[in-house]
Amino acid sequence: MNKLLPLLRREWLQYRFGWALMVAVPLAITLLLLAFGEIQIGADDAARVGDKMPALLAVASMAGSAAVLFIIASFSSIIIVAGMARRDHSDRSIEFWLSLPATHSASLAAPLIVHLLLVPAAALLAGMAGGVLVSMVLLTRVVGFAEWFTLPWFDLMPAVLALAARLLAGLPLAILWLSPLIMLVVLLSAWFRSWSWVILGVGIGVGSQLLNRVFGQPLLSDVTLGLLMQARSALVHGGESLALQSTAGGEALGQVPTWALHDLGLALRELPSPLLAGGLLFAAGCFYLLVLWRERGAGAAG
Amino acid sequence: MNAAEPNVLVKASHLSVRYGAKAAVDDVSFTIPKGRIVGLLGHNGAGKTTLMKAMVGLTQGEGELSVLGFQPRPQRAQLLEQACYIPDVAILPRWARVEDLISLMSGIHPRFSAERARSLLRRTSVGLRDKVKTLSKGMVVQAHLALVAAIDAKLMILDEPTLGLDVLSRKAFYEMLIDEWCDGERSVLISTHQVEEIESLLSDVLMLNEGKLVLSISLEDMEKRFVGVSHDAAVAEQIAAAHPLLRYRTGAGPSGNAAIFDGAPPEHVQALGQRIRPSLVDLFVALTRKPELDRTHF
Repeated sequence: MNKLLPLLRREWLQYRFGWALMVAVPLAITLLLLAFGEIQIGADDAARVGDKMPALLAVASMAGSAAVLFIIASFSSIIIVAGMARRDHSDRSIEFWLSLPATHSASLAAPLIVHLLLVPAAALLAGMAGGVLVSMVLLTRVVGFAEWFTLPWFDLMPAVLALAARLLAGLPLAILWLSPLIMLVVLLSAWFRSWSWVILGVGIGVGSQLLNRVFGQPLLSDVTLGLLMQARSALVHGGESLALQSTAGGEALGQVPTWALHDLGLALRELPSPLLAGGLLFAAGCFYLLVLWRERGAGAAG
Repeated sequence: MNAAEPNVLVKASHLSVRYGAKAAVDDVSFTIPKGRIVGLLGHNGAGKTTLMKAMVGLTQGEGELSVLGFQPRPQRAQLLEQACYIPDVAILPRWARVEDLISLMSGIHPRFSAERARSLLRRTSVGLRDKVKTLSKGMVVQAHLALVAAIDAKLMILDEPTLGLDVLSRKAFYEMLIDEWCDGERSVLISTHQVEEIESLLSDVLMLNEGKLVLSISLEDMEKRFVGVSHDAAVAEQIAAAHPLLRYRTGAGPSGNAAIFDGAPPEHVQALGQRIRPSLVDLFVALTRKPELDRTHF
């Protein structure tokens, strides 16, 4: 029987209320600010985009909402994941989970899958859906309620969906790049509890300086920076070119699907690299040590 | 299950579990057949929890250990599909609702019956929508037993399941265990300090002392083997000369003193008092304290 699905479901049952808040609160704040705040659009900007402004505002609303929720979800997920090794120890329910017929590796993998992949992806989609509402309020304030219904949805939606698809496809790639750092912090939190972030930060900072100054070897800083940069590229490889296209006017919307596909291709092309191979090996080693830690910790209370 | 001994659910042979240099379980050998309710007795630190953890694969032992035909450590997940385990009191996750736990266990445990769990919960004051953190300790234990008793398993392992509960909660727990789970085929291994309360439920007893198994016997055989003699203080010296396992005050009856012997004492010693059935508690004390101790002087 596949034990992973119920373990994934456990995450939903435990965090669903928090996730609902994570989506609802930023959207509600945005809607309130748009409804009652002051909205200023520069005359030059308005003149440059001309009658395409409603469409661009709609796309910006949806993309912006999605991006904000995606970033919030990603950061909160990384914080949850960092503490996952010890999360069931505070109420001693770890004893309950260990009494169930699920393997240690499945029990550790489930929260990683949920928090690193499914939650940010779901937040992104929720952000896009919420962005429809945001666009309605924004357009009502700027150009009038009726304008929203006259938007060229058949032109807009492919662009919006292509952006979403690009981010969704890039998410697992970014997690692959970040996996050595994420797994290291999870492992450190198993051993050193809340000191894990401090140890990681100090370790990388001091280690980089030491290697650089004493041995003239910038390996650690290069690797860390390389992983972070590649993770960013996995999500948006050519962010600059996208910005340029967007400011060129409404015509650029039609090019977004092509851009997204091309950008994803660039991100995929980066995958076969020694940095990623080494990083994945390191992450797998950390995961193995976590499984051992859970196994040994299980018997420690005897 | 062991193919050679189909009625044996658990077989340990020269099993030891060490934490560093200390042997928490030291060279123990025993079997648990089908349909038995076995009490695991021992002082704090005697190795009960360690032995139980070894039996469900949560700690590594040396020697041979077979539980339902599985090697517990490498086959923990498979074993726990056929055995259920309550490792401590009130350890259900506090964030969960009871119905969440039913839903989770339905997915994780192939032998779990959600319908049966709901039916068992109806016997308690725990509601399906109740959050664990709102329940009293006794209610959490009841809920946990209802969940575990809804597993169609062959063996249940309970480690101090009623520790710290009031007498009503303990009574309710054992009633549910006996009425709803034990069927003559399934076995239970239970460790507890409330020995008097469960003595009448037990069919067998395992006693651990400093990691060593000092007794593994059915209660039926225990009554045949161990003999108590109630006697007056005036004959205490003569009784002591016969080297009983334990001399103690009973606090009841006209004589007020008693001694426990392993095997029938000599005729002349029996004649000094009245033969009584030693309780499990007295026998536990006799076997887990140093024999030279004389508990008639408090």
